[in-house]
Amino acid sequence: MSGRRIVITSGKGGVGKTTTTANLGAALAKRGHKVILVDTDIGLRNLDLVLGVEKRIVFDLVEVVEGRCQLRQALIRDKRFESLSLLPAAQTREKEAVSEAQMARVVEDLGALADFVIIDCPAGIEHGFRSAIAGAREAIVVTTPEVSAIRDADRVVGKLTAAGLPLRLIVNRVRPEMVKSGDMMTVEDVCEILQSELLGVIPDDEEIIDTTNRGEPVVLDETSRLALIFDKIARRLDGEIVPFTNFNAPTLFGRLFTLWKAG
Amino acid sequence: MQAFESSAAEIDLEPVAAPAPPLGRAIVITSGKGGVGKTTTTANVGAALAAAGKRVVLVDADVGLRNLDIVLGLESRVKYHLLDVLEEKVTLDEALVRDKRSENLYLLAAAQTREKEDVVTAQMKALIERLRERFEFVLIDCPAGIEMGFKNAVAGAGHAIVVCTPEVSAVRDADRVVGLLPGDWRPELIINRLRPHLVRKGKMLSVEDVNAILRLPLLGVIADEPGVIIATNKGEPLALDAASETGAAYRAIAAKLAGEEVAAPAVKASPGGGFLSRLGTLFGGRS
Repeated sequence: MSGRRIVITSGKGGVGKTTTTANLGAALAKRGHKVILVDTDIGLRNLDLVLGVEKRIVFDLVEVVEGRCQLRQALIRDKRFESLSLLPAAQTREKEAVSEAQMARVVEDLGALADFVIIDCPAGIEHGFRSAIAGAREAIVVTTPEVSAIRDADRVVGKLTAAGLPLRLIVNRVRPEMVKSGDMMTVEDVCEILQSELLGVIPDDEEIIDTTNRGEPVVLDETSRLALIFDKIARRLDGEIVPFTNFNAPTLFGRLFTLWKAG
Repeated sequence: MQAFESSAAEIDLEPVAAPAPPLGRAIVITSGKGGVGKTTTTANVGAALAAAGKRVVLVDADVGLRNLDIVLGLESRVKYHLLDVLEEKVTLDEALVRDKRSENLYLLAAAQTREKEDVVTAQMKALIERLRERFEFVLIDCPAGIEMGFKNAVAGAGHAIVVCTPEVSAVRDADRVVGLLPGDWRPELIINRLRPHLVRKGKMLSVEDVNAILRLPLLGVIADEPGVIIATNKGEPLALDAASETGAAYRAIAAKLAGEEVAAPAVKASPGGGFLSRLGTLFGGRS
């Protein structure tokens, strides 16, 4: 087996990388795929919390790399989705504890065990970013429709392209009422600026705060509209053609374009 | 010998030997987790301090992913940046960008096309020291994470403001960051993006929940409101909007930092849901 290796990245922090990783992973697992999630945010791990498995961590990524345990021993299987597992990050170590080559090796090994290896990247573009993308073959860039998030995403898109990784976008935390009143960029604006293909659009929804605090991926709740949205993204990732929900009314964000020109 | 010393002193000293003004305060705004509002906080607290008559410089330490210029609406005025100064390509005066609205407020932008590893920690420290000679407040906007960029941002500071949202993951990261700051600091806490209606429903951590874990002096609480996104997109800090409640909250934070007596922020929030027990087990290890 040689599974797909996808890194979820953004540049800017707090735009929803970890939440997306957890829910997309759960949505893919629900569809019957074998999925392994990798938390590469060494020192500031959170994917375990979002999945609600924080008390079950025994070994972590750094211990795997240092040969102190077997790869399989460090994987935590999710109790709700049989085919979903997590390789947690170490919390009390530094990002430099894992080199790019070591990370690439771990991700490659995980690819032999799963259909999808989804790598949750830390914020920023430092060493943690470089090692998180080292083992990936494709990327998902998560951004929000805010000037600062898009500027950071633009930097990351440039770095991913330079690394030869194909990428698609998830635009997160869209507020349709703000888009309509002209106070928020449209998804089309975002894709245009970043010159990237769209994979999914996620509306801003208070439900996600609660489910994240409780460690229960929103995908678990069949009646949730977010569960439906993550399922659509999972299907698109799987190669299906699924129409997008449209939040129209194009706006002009002149500042942004002058910004890009200024570099 | 004595005569020689005194004549040398006469040459070195200014004609009127006024005592050197006290150095300004260098404060790093940090969080661990990204996207919790460090940059917005830096811009707004800085703008409020400047509006209150303080001389303020804001330093964007997020090399490669700068955004403070955007939040201040100064992006088209940035010509030089922090690394240009550190590498002595330009003088500090050439790199400082004056705010459009306030004579007291300046920005030192980060380089956008360089790497955080290009900054030498000792040079950063020396630069902050120079800024402290000229400004009453030096606010340093720290990048997310705890890598090199974090270390450089903290290096020259003498105090920290930790920004945290009422989310389990943000609290965990903030706790980690507090542990990495110098042990003799007493960082102050700003809780950002509180949604009181969610707290009342038990669907969000309350201010008390967050601070039961972090145990830091509370500098302020900022509510979640769409006005912040709009202001950021426009490049106009809400702190300057006299009609905005959020602006008033930032102004209160600035007044507190400037040493004024300010009443504790009024936050109506009964204890949150069942998160506290989860937080308790999570942080049980930290003494």
